[in-house]
Amino acid sequence: MRKIPWVIMCLLPFIASGQIVIDKPLSPRLTGYDMNVTLDPDAHTVSGQMTAWWVNHSSMPVGEAMMHMYLNAFCSNKTTFAKGRWSAAGDDGWGWVKINSIFDGSGNDLIDSMGFVSPDDGNEHDKTVLRLALPSPVAPGDTLVLVIDFTSKLPSPIQRTGYEGDFHFVAQWFPKFGVYETAGMRQREADGWNCHQFHPNSEFYANHSVYNVSVTLPSEYVTGSGGMLIEETDLGEGMKRVIWRAEDIVDFAWTAWPGYKVLTDRWKGVDITFLTSEPALKKADSQFQAVKYALEYLEERVGPYPWPHLTFVDPPMSGTGAGGMEYTTLFTSMGGGMVPSFMKMPEMVTIHEFGHAYFMGILASNEFEEPWLDEGINSYWEQRIVDHYYGKGYGLLKLPFIRLSDTDQGRMTYITSPSRGIATNDLPSWMYPHGTYSMMSYSKAATWLHTLKGIIGTETMDNVFREYYRRWAFRHPSGKDFIAVVNDVVRSEHGDRFGEDMNWFFDQVLYGSGICDYRVSGITSNKIRSYSGVVDGDSVTYTRSDRRSDTLYISRVSIERLGDVKLPVEILIGFDNGEEVLEQWDGKELYRDFEYTGARKPVWAKIDPDNRIDMDVNRINNSWTYEPDRTAARRMMNKFILLMQMMISIFTI
Amino acid sequence: MSFFKTLKNGATVTASSYKLILVIWISMLVLTLAAGYPLKAFMNSIFGKSMITERLNDGFDIALAGEIGKPFGALVTSVTAGTVLVGTAGFILMVFFAGGLFRRFTLAEGRLKVSEFLKASATSFMPFLWITLLMMLIIAGYTLLVIGVPALVMVLVSGSKMPSGNGIYIFYVIWALGMPLWLFVADASRRWMAATGSRQVFRAIGAAFRALRERFWLNYGIVFAVVVLNLLLVLAILWFAAFATPDKGIMVFLFFIATQALVVVRLMMKAWRYAVVCEAVQQQRGEAIP
Repeated sequence: MRKIPWVIMCLLPFIASGQIVIDKPLSPRLTGYDMNVTLDPDAHTVSGQMTAWWVNHSSMPVGEAMMHMYLNAFCSNKTTFAKGRWSAAGDDGWGWVKINSIFDGSGNDLIDSMGFVSPDDGNEHDKTVLRLALPSPVAPGDTLVLVIDFTSKLPSPIQRTGYEGDFHFVAQWFPKFGVYETAGMRQREADGWNCHQFHPNSEFYANHSVYNVSVTLPSEYVTGSGGMLIEETDLGEGMKRVIWRAEDIVDFAWTAWPGYKVLTDRWKGVDITFLTSEPALKKADSQFQAVKYALEYLEERVGPYPWPHLTFVDPPMSGTGAGGMEYTTLFTSMGGGMVPSFMKMPEMVTIHEFGHAYFMGILASNEFEEPWLDEGINSYWEQRIVDHYYGKGYGLLKLPFIRLSDTDQGRMTYITSPSRGIATNDLPSWMYPHGTYSMMSYSKAATWLHTLKGIIGTETMDNVFREYYRRWAFRHPSGKDFIAVVNDVVRSEHGDRFGEDMNWFFDQVLYGSGICDYRVSGITSNKIRSYSGVVDGDSVTYTRSDRRSDTLYISRVSIERLGDVKLPVEILIGFDNGEEVLEQWDGKELYRDFEYTGARKPVWAKIDPDNRIDMDVNRINNSWTYEPDRTAARRMMNKFILLMQMMISIFTI
Repeated sequence: MSFFKTLKNGATVTASSYKLILVIWISMLVLTLAAGYPLKAFMNSIFGKSMITERLNDGFDIALAGEIGKPFGALVTSVTAGTVLVGTAGFILMVFFAGGLFRRFTLAEGRLKVSEFLKASATSFMPFLWITLLMMLIIAGYTLLVIGVPALVMVLVSGSKMPSGNGIYIFYVIWALGMPLWLFVADASRRWMAATGSRQVFRAIGAAFRALRERFWLNYGIVFAVVVLNLLLVLAILWFAAFATPDKGIMVFLFFIATQALVVVRLMMKAWRYAVVCEAVQQQRGEAIP
């Protein structure tokens, strides 16, 4: 049995919570990890000791602990994660995490107290959630200390984590506490652990923690992590030790590869480190710029980025499976060396993954249960940033003959999905049917957030997020908490202009599954003819002047609601004399006719002329005119013919 | 025979064949209109009386594909199938007319009437088709050898999934420098067939290689020069097509006229290559070009 100097263990939380990176703690720091591990790049294992601690912040004693064992998702093809979608690249490709020994702070051996549970689907082959029965309950305010000797074997092919050749991306790699939620937190009824299995479509939920990580590895490996580099020591015999510390982050990942090129930059007080490969070096400047854009935009409109360091990685081609993932102060982009400059895909990924430092890093929502709260909100901000800095209307792609904005790209994913109405937007990540997780959590949520901005205004929307940050930074907000912020801010800025609260909006777009579609069904104008008819048996006739200027029309602009979602819309109507009239409609009835009598005739009408209602799934039917412009179709036909002719003349020698 | 005189004589004989080139252009236009009109009709049908076409004024906004929804997928399928069909038909058409053009450029007695041009095209069609396919196969093999193999070696050596660094560009340059040789052989072999009336494909290619070797640098130089000029013209046309966004009815019509004029120029430039090769080979043989 391993002897534990328990006095040191008891002092550990105080040692670990000291201030090295940040002036004062940003979070309650209920968990912490002190690790001393070695990377074996041939066996692709990380092994060593970890001291983990958890503070019982509830008012009740807690008799068990729950830990994530994420790497076990890769231990067989029958795990909940792997089933039908991932398999190891040969016998060496399986991944797992094994606890060799485990003691509590009092020196009690807990190895026989461990058991795996599958709270989400009961899959007996899934070993990604560890339940630890404690010999004695942890009293309120007390700290549970666990000393764990563990070995982690990285998987291949890489799926967020793993190895390919000598490239190692080490994420979700150690036994990690779930989140102990108290009653009331995230509308929870009773205290308990929140610790879900590793699903294909889920990411993570964790406490803000303190990490002290020491890694021993071969000297030729270049490393990076989500922590601040404290020390790098040459141990001789071709080995070195790297020590990082990270404070108040929800996950700790690191990477090691001999081929990394390391570049650094600085934005205000933030040191930015970029690990990339030789072919992607040419994109380094634009990648740094993308990060700075995101920092600037989010700091101005949401809140400050609180850490003094940030590392991001553009993995090499062999490690693309690690690309596009976030670990708060470390994130991975992708494709920098392969994409031409007129496409801002790598910059978009960089901005998106950085954004998670806010939406899930700082505002640590439960991404297992409410993925929209992270991915949806983050996609919304990513789209705003990309289109703001790279061009409204062409943020993602800009060529003389073709273009695409990032916001439209996200909206397109939603409106073109045949399953867009199949489920509500509030499901846990693993519950979305028919492969709709991504469309719903990212695209639909971002689309209705843009719609909300269109309704309440950009300034109010930004104030919503400032308040959301102010109230919930370094805590665990739920969707209901976000809605409460929206209601409070909208009420304070607009009174009851949008009703008592904004729940009517969320009930439709978040908790409902309907679609939004308004259309102009047509415009009619009829001359008011001289009045003739029979009145009380007498024939009466009113005659009017035939002069054209005196001719009166009765005109009707007909609008219809085709979808279930009811949103207030504006209708801009243009008349033949050049006048324009902006009408308002609450959008609740199935149709609405706007009638005009006079010498002028409406000749065109546009619903939502400023494109504020992104939820509208078809904007072709949002407008109607007597004289549609056919020049674009003719021009495109001409260009198509020319391209065909050139193709024929080139490919025939 | 000087370099410039060969080019000049080739240009003269090409210019004098403008009626034949107009026949080629009209045939090609009719063919491509068959694919272009349905595209226009589809767009008009989808957009109907909507004003959303405003978003096409600065080029195609991909987001419109989302608005169109499912029919856009059908459109892409139709356009792709139409492009393949029209491309194949166009290929056959160009091979067909090449027969008439080479006949014209090897004819001692002068100009061809359109009916004679079509007859000559029909007579040479099958052997020209074979020779074209054979040369395209040779060029594909050459591409594989000069670009494919080095790229594969670079990938294997570097261990990455794509050839990295600037080294691969050297092979692109080598490939481009070698292309005029194959084009000369393709043109000279067709000239040989047109001049001799023979239908033996391999003998024609053999004769072309012999002709190439006899005055290598002149032959290479003239084809290289004409190919470079053709390439510049093609790039200019594509640049014009990409950047020009006429937004008024009359401007769209003028755009159509301008682009078709450029297509005629492009066809003349291509015919010029045929003509200079014929001119060069015939001068080697001491034959007179009309």
